[in-house]
Amino acid sequence: MMLNRLAWKNIWRHKRRTLITGFSISFGVFLATTFTGIGDYTYTNMIDVSATMGLGHVTVEPAGYNLAPSLDKRLQNASQIQQQIMTLPQVTQTNARIMGQAMFASASKSIGGSFMAIDPATETPAANLFIKSIVEGELFASADTRGIAIGTVMAEKLNLRLGKKIVYTTTDVDGEIVGEVARISAIFHTGLDEVDGAMALLPINLMRKTLSYQSDDTSIITVLISDQRDAEMVRNEVAKIVRSEDVEILSWKKTQGDMNGFVTLKRGSQFLMELLIGLVIAAGILNTILMGVIERSREFAVMVAVGMAPLALFLLVMVEAFWLAIIGLILGIIITAPWFYYLFYTGLDYSAMMEGMQDVSAGGVLFDPLIRIRLFKESIIAILSGLFLLTLFSALYPAWRAMRTDTVDNLKTI
Amino acid sequence: MNQSNQPIVQLTDITRTYIQGEIEVNAVSNFNLEIKQGDFATLCGPSGSGKTTVLNMIGALDEPTSGIVSIEGQSLSELSRSEISALRRDRIGFVFQSYNLIPVLTAYENAEFVLALQGVKPAERHDRVMQVLKEVGLEGLENRRPDEMSGGQQQRVAIARAIVTRPAIVLADEPTANVDSATAEALLDLMQELNKNDGVTFLFSTHDQRVIDRAKRVIHLRDGQLESDVLQ
Repeated sequence: MMLNRLAWKNIWRHKRRTLITGFSISFGVFLATTFTGIGDYTYTNMIDVSATMGLGHVTVEPAGYNLAPSLDKRLQNASQIQQQIMTLPQVTQTNARIMGQAMFASASKSIGGSFMAIDPATETPAANLFIKSIVEGELFASADTRGIAIGTVMAEKLNLRLGKKIVYTTTDVDGEIVGEVARISAIFHTGLDEVDGAMALLPINLMRKTLSYQSDDTSIITVLISDQRDAEMVRNEVAKIVRSEDVEILSWKKTQGDMNGFVTLKRGSQFLMELLIGLVIAAGILNTILMGVIERSREFAVMVAVGMAPLALFLLVMVEAFWLAIIGLILGIIITAPWFYYLFYTGLDYSAMMEGMQDVSAGGVLFDPLIRIRLFKESIIAILSGLFLLTLFSALYPAWRAMRTDTVDNLKTI
Repeated sequence: MNQSNQPIVQLTDITRTYIQGEIEVNAVSNFNLEIKQGDFATLCGPSGSGKTTVLNMIGALDEPTSGIVSIEGQSLSELSRSEISALRRDRIGFVFQSYNLIPVLTAYENAEFVLALQGVKPAERHDRVMQVLKEVGLEGLENRRPDEMSGGQQQRVAIARAIVTRPAIVLADEPTANVDSATAEALLDLMQELNKNDGVTFLFSTHDQRVIDRAKRVIHLRDGQLESDVLQ
């Protein structure tokens, strides 16, 4: 109690110095919140957007499909599996999709690409980026119709417009070449040239017939969840529901390895940068606390002389650091709150800077020019506790110096 | 309180050697001394005679190169670091030349400081601190910080801090050096009264003739050795 009172009084001995130290800690809060918050938002956004590009956060698929996708690998009884998965509280949507490679041809040209056969009755723009990105026409109305949605780049390459016919050919479940004619009902533009030039949406029931699939067969079942951080947990839960050696349940980290690598690398470099900033801040805090200790060498010697144990001096400096950390964190929250509010609700719009740039993507996902912020609960705890511990860590050496105060040298005469 | 013959401090064959560069300097050599309860003694002698070294060793702030320092019969060399801290806290009071109060604490808190270190309960601390501040003539000034008090008042706080724990001995280094004559006389009056009425044992280190004149016992040092030990 006495240490606490003395420490509190000591830190206000030099108000300006305490405030400068507090502001350096608060600067740490500001930077860590900004970098981590933008990271939390951006990576979550990328993962969520990527999940809407076909594979979801979690995928149920035939064993070996991820490493070697093929139309002869298929899941049966998809509806029943979907119903069971939908009982999990984290799951917001499931979709059965047939995915494969095809040749797309107009009267004059043909190109290779991919298709995703979907049921328009269950798909939503929120769960499917291509539907969300439709810029012309409307998605085919039913899963049995001869409609198709293609990207702007494919339309341009094949010299096709809305309403025109397109022929696609692929291989069926027996490896036979099969084909269909479809009329373009929609054209989408995701902004990713690679995707807009190669992807097509097709009606799933018609595709089942074309591929000689059963009525409830599918390549994959995609699972969308409310919070991407739960992907591994949901994967494990789904694995408990779908107990079959012929089926694999994978999270986005496995199905979208490139993006996982990108996010991991970015998070790693972000952590390293925050660590370096933290070390610079720690050096400043150490310097300030050490200065305060050296200045008070004689005072500490007097305290030891009148009976204070050296360990109590160590604790005194540590309690001072504790209060500095608390002041710094409170200042940090006050300073960061308006900035956080602005980034959370308004965000930084980089569209003007990106104007004219084509295909701005990262990890295979279109980069969102509007940068916003969000902080996960664990990030808030990590920032506050990290800076708190950093301040205490910075005080260890000064506290040790205080503990080792040479009474005779510092008092000269008693 | 009556003076007893029991030694509070006993220095036996004390030698303290410092190394200055490559030269060994004997600050104190083969020094013997006993301070008894109720003493009002002063160490005097020219600069470099070893007064401060002797006081530092009695205060357990420094250790002899050889010899034994005992406080109330307990040899300091047998005590651990924490036991020495406790000894200084409980049995020795210090009055410094430049007061050395803790600047952020009030007069009350400075006097209370050692009692808090001892773990004395707040209510008892309050009573004892108020009592001792009254004794040293600081009633009404409890809430002043050192920078709001005169030198004499600060030294009174230092005396209050030194005696509030009822130590076996108060070690005072040049306690009158930084105050004017009138204040010095008042401080000496106070310490004499504490010695006479409460039996507080004082050992001074000083050049001040006023202190020497008032001491009941004058111990002269020269070149680190006892030159004379005279009762007045």
